[in-house]
Amino acid sequence: MARMPATDHLEEARATLAEYPVADGHNDLPWALREKVRYDLDRLDIAADQTGRLHTDLARLRSGGVGAQFWSVYVRTDLTGDAAVSATLEQIDCVQQLLDRHPAELRRALTAADMEAARAEGRIASLMGAEGGHSINNSLATLRALHTLGVRYMTLTHNDNIAWADSATDEPGVGGLSPFGHEVVREMNRVGMLVDLSHVAATTMRAALDTSTAPVIFSHSSSRAVCDHPRNIPDDVLERLPGNGGVAMATFVPKFVLQAAVDWTAAADDNMRAHGFHHLDTTPEAMKVHEAFEASHPRPVATAATVADHLDHMREVAGVDHIGIGGDYDGTAFTPDGLDDVSGYPNLIAELLSRGWSRADLAKLTWRNAVRVLGAAEDVARDVGARRGPSVATLDQLDG
Amino acid sequence: MADLQDDEDIPLSAGGASAHAEEGAEGKSEELRPGASAPAPVPASEERARALLAEHPVADGHSGLAWVLSRLTWYDLELGDTALQTDLPRLREGAVGAMFWSLRLPQEYEGNRAVSATLALIDLAETVVRDHPEGLRLAHTASHTVDARAHGRIACLLGPAAAAAIDDCLGTLRALQRLGVRSLTLTGTRWAGEQGLSRFGEEVVREMNRLGVLADLSGSSTATVKHTLAVSRAPVIFSRSAAHALNPHPDNVPDDLLAALRANSGLCLVPCAAEQTGPALRDVADHLDHVRRVAGPECVGISGMYDTESTLADGLHDTSRYPQLIAELLDRGWPDADVSLLTWGNVQRVLRDADFTAKAAQIRRAPSTATLARLDGDG
Repeated sequence: MARMPATDHLEEARATLAEYPVADGHNDLPWALREKVRYDLDRLDIAADQTGRLHTDLARLRSGGVGAQFWSVYVRTDLTGDAAVSATLEQIDCVQQLLDRHPAELRRALTAADMEAARAEGRIASLMGAEGGHSINNSLATLRALHTLGVRYMTLTHNDNIAWADSATDEPGVGGLSPFGHEVVREMNRVGMLVDLSHVAATTMRAALDTSTAPVIFSHSSSRAVCDHPRNIPDDVLERLPGNGGVAMATFVPKFVLQAAVDWTAAADDNMRAHGFHHLDTTPEAMKVHEAFEASHPRPVATAATVADHLDHMREVAGVDHIGIGGDYDGTAFTPDGLDDVSGYPNLIAELLSRGWSRADLAKLTWRNAVRVLGAAEDVARDVGARRGPSVATLDQLDG
Repeated sequence: MADLQDDEDIPLSAGGASAHAEEGAEGKSEELRPGASAPAPVPASEERARALLAEHPVADGHSGLAWVLSRLTWYDLELGDTALQTDLPRLREGAVGAMFWSLRLPQEYEGNRAVSATLALIDLAETVVRDHPEGLRLAHTASHTVDARAHGRIACLLGPAAAAAIDDCLGTLRALQRLGVRSLTLTGTRWAGEQGLSRFGEEVVREMNRLGVLADLSGSSTATVKHTLAVSRAPVIFSRSAAHALNPHPDNVPDDLLAALRANSGLCLVPCAAEQTGPALRDVADHLDHVRRVAGPECVGISGMYDTESTLADGLHDTSRYPQLIAELLDRGWPDADVSLLTWGNVQRVLRDADFTAKAAQIRRAPSTATLARLDGDG
């Protein structure tokens, strides 16, 4: 670790987390297990130390003070149609297997009450979030199936536009949400699935906030005012969270949170393309080109202080009741110094303590806001469910 | 509901009159039936059939209701619907206690839309059942089925689904099982085709055993049937197959396989479908006789095939007609015990056996991580 800020606050950070642990909005362990060992959990067992192979294992979750985790059941966007749905079901099955294998450490959680029960027992509440509307293949029935199987949030898009919503990292398409997109949001409200606005275009954030009667979340996005990257949240959207009741969970991904890293990544991608590779190509030849670039252009390093800068700003704009943490571990190649893996959260909390954050504010940041938002989604679902039946709308009907 | 009943050639049960009688489903229905409104005397065998069915209702192995309802914008299962062969009044009249909601898909859905389409049918079944809490109840296990019956509800089980619905992924199979799918028809995929099961296909069957998902072999190739019978530790079913010896329809089961089914303690559910059995009620009864003789009374059941594309045998035109079919069997000398196995007992036993096999297998085996590519290559 390059620097250890606020080591004097580390003990207090651990004490804070012992009472109000981290409820993290986004961890890509299931996808890592799919890619690395095709779900053969004996070959990559999180009960053992997986340092160097994964950001996540049970011991490091414990030492990181994690009390709840939304496991992402992400599937790549080049999977479309049934292939995306089927892969999402496999991802859900992977989480189920993790729960079956580690019952003493992980507790299946579907509700806010389950999260609190897990905290009381000292187990890690395990929830699921789908990452991208491609996972439901334009079908509200599939959305309901995911909910039945335990998925409690869905990010409306991943890195690419879908038929009914725009991604932050794609060209403008429907310009926010299509009529079917609005219906997806309403149906998510009805079943009690949180609407996640990470990854979506700002137009889509605003459209979803217009329609959603339940609080929304950003499962892993930071502040665009602090670091100008489309994956981050503009201030006008953060300002709407108090009215909506939602929670923006700051992410740690250096290329989103540190301006120097944003610029470096853009230059590295340009370099890849100049050599005739796709910028995400990880074949040995492509990696050679990338490594050469990295040798001549040292990669800028983010720290816990970088993330704390975002949280300071987000607290100021959205308010302390509307912020949280979504590390994106095992979903990103690089992590900030001091936040290298899931054991790093205490370093972030220590940094915030050194900046004068109160224990009460930290309790909201790490735990209470996340629990509140899920509970509120349940309340809305109960209310809407009493008035509305399952939506049978289709993309063709609404969007023509 | 009387006006929904077509008059038929079979001496009738006078649907209108006996509708009231079904409320209790306690075997006392005959006394409640007002004689004045019964136009013709009910044959003694039908009285006996109704009494037996009150104790041992029909567990119907194959209903097409899910697909048909997915194509209707308006329907009324509660009061009755002439656009359907299935509704609550006629299910009650027919003494149906459990039904398998088929998740079969039209051929064009297999291959690229099977997963989504199957999830849509499951979702629809859940919605319909939730909307009819007085009549229907979802059941995932044998115990749920018994519970539903104890509460006077018709147990609704999900399946068979198309093999294509698992998209060649065991994780997807497990997700479907968690959503309640109880059987899968082993045909129409790379791993279950004319040549029988591939190595991955064998692994699918073993995983189905571990999950308690029944292998449905109606429409499977002979090689797949034999292969599955060799691999499966749990009873298998033919969800809609009659006797090949009487009618060489491709979905019917030849005698040697019926004998093999007896050894497996599986179940052949004979469809009331004219193209497989013949056009008359007595033809269906002939097939039931044959399957009972060859496979044994423990291995035969009934599939209504209502609300599917099948043409129904005369006299079995909707779900109210099971008592007439049972009366025919009683007239042919079926003992009460065999009738009760046919209508209810065998399905219960097979579900229970599958549940038991699954529990035992889960102790021995972890969820399989096998993939099609790993076991069968990419070819």
